[in-house]
Amino acid sequence: MNRRLPWAVGFLSAGMIAFQLSLMQILSICQWSHFAYMVISVAMLGLGTSGTVLFFLKKKLLGRTELYVPALMILTSVSMVTILFFSGRVFGGFDSYLVFYEKRHYADLLLTYFVLFIPFFLGASALGLLYIRYASGIGKLYFADLTGSGLAGLLMLFLFWHFSPERLPVIIACFPLLAGILAIPAKGGRVIAGLGLIAGSLLLAGTMYPVKLPLSQYKSLSRTLLLPGARIMEKVNSPYGHLTRVQAKSLRYAPGLSLTYSGSVPVQEVLFNNGDWLGPVVAFDTSATDHFLDHATYALPFITGDPGSVFIAGAAAGLYADHAWVHGVQEIIAAQTNKAAVELLYRNSVIPEPSVHFVGIHPRTFLLSGSRYDLIILPETGSFGGSAGIHALEEQFLFTTQAFSQMWDCLTPDGMISATVWMDFPSRNSLKLLATLVQIAESKAPGSPAEHIMAVRSWATVTFVLKKSRITSREITKLMEFSRREQFDPLLYPGMGPSAGDHYNSLQDDSFFVAIERIMSPSVERKAFFKEYDFNIRPATDSKPYFSQFLKLNRLSKMRDVFGDASVPFLETGYLIVLVTFLQITAAALLFILLPLFLIKKPGRKKASPLVYFAAIGVGYMFVEMVFIRQYTVYFGDPLYAASAVLSAMLFFSGAGAFVSRKVVFENRRFGILMLFITGLLVILAAGLTPLLNSTAGFPLWLKLLLSFVITGPLSFLMGMMFPSGIRALSLQKKDDLIPWAWGVNGAFSVISTVLATILAVEFGFSIVMLVGAVAYFTAGQAVRFRLFSIFVS
Amino acid sequence: MNILSRITGFFLIFLLGPAIEPVMTQDYALMRDRMVREQIIGRGVTHRATLQAMRKVERHLFVDASLRKRAYDDNPLPIGFGQTISQPFIVAYMTSLIDPQPHFKVLEIGTGSGYQAAILAQITDSVYTIEIVPELGLKAKKLLHDLHYDNVEVITGDGYYGLPGKGPFDAIVVTAAAEHVPPPLIEQLKDGGKMIIPVGSPFMVQSLVLVTRKKGRIRTENLMSVRFVPFTRKENE
Repeated sequence: MNRRLPWAVGFLSAGMIAFQLSLMQILSICQWSHFAYMVISVAMLGLGTSGTVLFFLKKKLLGRTELYVPALMILTSVSMVTILFFSGRVFGGFDSYLVFYEKRHYADLLLTYFVLFIPFFLGASALGLLYIRYASGIGKLYFADLTGSGLAGLLMLFLFWHFSPERLPVIIACFPLLAGILAIPAKGGRVIAGLGLIAGSLLLAGTMYPVKLPLSQYKSLSRTLLLPGARIMEKVNSPYGHLTRVQAKSLRYAPGLSLTYSGSVPVQEVLFNNGDWLGPVVAFDTSATDHFLDHATYALPFITGDPGSVFIAGAAAGLYADHAWVHGVQEIIAAQTNKAAVELLYRNSVIPEPSVHFVGIHPRTFLLSGSRYDLIILPETGSFGGSAGIHALEEQFLFTTQAFSQMWDCLTPDGMISATVWMDFPSRNSLKLLATLVQIAESKAPGSPAEHIMAVRSWATVTFVLKKSRITSREITKLMEFSRREQFDPLLYPGMGPSAGDHYNSLQDDSFFVAIERIMSPSVERKAFFKEYDFNIRPATDSKPYFSQFLKLNRLSKMRDVFGDASVPFLETGYLIVLVTFLQITAAALLFILLPLFLIKKPGRKKASPLVYFAAIGVGYMFVEMVFIRQYTVYFGDPLYAASAVLSAMLFFSGAGAFVSRKVVFENRRFGILMLFITGLLVILAAGLTPLLNSTAGFPLWLKLLLSFVITGPLSFLMGMMFPSGIRALSLQKKDDLIPWAWGVNGAFSVISTVLATILAVEFGFSIVMLVGAVAYFTAGQAVRFRLFSIFVS
Repeated sequence: MNILSRITGFFLIFLLGPAIEPVMTQDYALMRDRMVREQIIGRGVTHRATLQAMRKVERHLFVDASLRKRAYDDNPLPIGFGQTISQPFIVAYMTSLIDPQPHFKVLEIGTGSGYQAAILAQITDSVYTIEIVPELGLKAKKLLHDLHYDNVEVITGDGYYGLPGKGPFDAIVVTAAAEHVPPPLIEQLKDGGKMIIPVGSPFMVQSLVLVTRKKGRIRTENLMSVRFVPFTRKENE
């Protein structure tokens, strides 16, 4: 083996992972973040399909591996840059809103799939060819593959800060080009070197002529830029997203303002993240005595209380901090994970320190410091006019029962948690939020949950307040006065009569009030209501942190009857797109990977049985990886960096496992026991990971990182041994025919698993995903135990 | 024919399918009549003037030529600039809710395609409509002029301040709803006047907020665009 080949593999893998991350960001900007699933699936499909192609062309390709491998690597680089040149067609050809409306957009979406698939297919073909050619020494190559992938994750954190999204693919394309150059053989590589020169010229052209990314016309940023005089004032690159600060003389934001308000609403600059609305950039006007939010339901905690310290969880661009500051609050801490947004605020606003302080950290992590607050304000949920469910699969760890429990513990004795929600029809957000508050009040103040919750409703919003001590009659009086003055309707307060809720803002029928009443009922009745209601309004948990996911799949036919086929996709686009992606990708995997292999050369039942092993480890690895990434999101103060570190560590440890596997000769029975050991570990983690992370969340960062490496490291090490051991065994048993099969089947099942894991997490939670991962490894172990596949090579 | 050319052939047919569909001579009047019967009357809208206007206004002229044959379908359609022409039923329902009379002076915020303004212009004496996106405003202005809707005045600009010089208005239709109702618009609503605000994402109006102003008191009513009855035990009892 050429000594430079492991390096080439490392660079190629790094390029492919980096390209995947870059595409995810570009699609988040041009469309919406749920297209990240599409990118992952397309990448995995590229991997799987390469196995099929290698199966057919193996004889032809193996003869000249030393030439084909660098050529494929360079072509990977070329295809990455070429995609960018056609970005208008690739990223802006289809529109996720119009996909449900016009056939043309569906065709464009398919075209996008196909174009994005090419670089992954070419890169994976180079890898697969090397694995077949050097099957007995696969450990070293697989180590380079995984280590390159792991390092790419870390490298991208740096690149995201320093390069704009449209420039990144050109930089990333240098990696496969470098890989190709490294792999060029000493003899007969002139043609390949020429190809490299062409690729280099393309890269240069890509650098000199940067393209403009096409945003969907339905993105908030697109619509804002249509306003007269709208100007982009600043753009900030960051791994947290691409920030855009926009100024326009008609930009005003006053969510759910009372219709009696006759004052002015200031013109504000607005911040967008990946083209989505983040919030107005506030000025902290020192002369202000009144705030327009005093005329919205948001003011409820300030009307009924007089907080001296406020914690804002999810600071956005500072609106709620400004509101608290106008009320003279002496200590305001505003936290959010987007560090780039915090830095931008400090650059553009005169923050009245030390009264107001913004921090770039996950709010739940900040609360671990042990400080107590009189008021905790949560960001509003839902959106005006509905978000068409595009956030359905966003993990909202701030709105889980564990989060509310933690916030309750951080309140002073008379402290309050305030959360505002947009009214939606049919009611979903408000009911789920109330269900969460009731559950917390019930567990923290047994016997009298209703004594701790109050709420007012306007024409557009509801603000709920959960108070640690019992709500007093004085506070109720203030709530009533406030409601009368602003023409809001009291929705909840202790001792509220049945007719008080519909005075100024009436609803079409009483179903909303019936739902509120049933949620406020004792636990058994409440749970029965959750089951009966057409939408999922059970409180979110850390294991199922999808607060904005409401769709119940078994009620889809009713939704179609009521809303019509054309409208249903807009009830919950985010989840439906993932379901559609799952169906598409499963069909594509069957069509492009499994079917050709079956049709052309049936391997025979016995001969094909090793494939059970490769399918199972494909499913297992992806499921475990998915749970680890999600579960570490809240654990660290900076989820992005920490999750990247954990993921990179996981890949690195797996790579180390692959490297060591070269020297290990397994005996079937012992291998089965090892698989059982992995299964056991996964079962323990399924039950214990969340409690373990919760109980150690307060540890110092270095200790948490260490603990996370202890949890993920050995497991990843063992899991990393499985694939190369299997390939090596096939090679040494002279079953070379099956190697492309194994590569393809492993890829196909990994494809399906990436999306399936998300669907299972939504429906059943992360613990179940981990358990399915455990079952997959158990199956692989059993396949070996029952000699479907012998890993033992004497 | 090899497999590759067959695949390419199928792919091209799929891509070009919508474009090469034979163009039929559509009887738009018949389609309009069916739209009113099935989509509007069928869903309970009985406001006579609204139904007449919906029968008369040629909706297909307000959409892009490529979408004309779908103009009378039961759904909204894209008109560019991130905006849509609303579903016929929503236009009818909104119009009926403000109960327009011939002598009414109506203000519309968000002209869009100009279709809603045309419907209102069929019923009332004067319609003022403001569009913030210049391209849309100019296009709608030309179209409404060409169709001889002389009682519609299209203004291109920021609708936030309404039209103080032309008010007060008997009704205000805020089709380009913001997350707050601009205070100047409330001030320009006549006593006894009505304002209607559709709430929803571009392709799915989920509810309508009807604002009424009477003797200084402002009331709102949230109405769902479709009759959705939650499935609960109480419902079944």
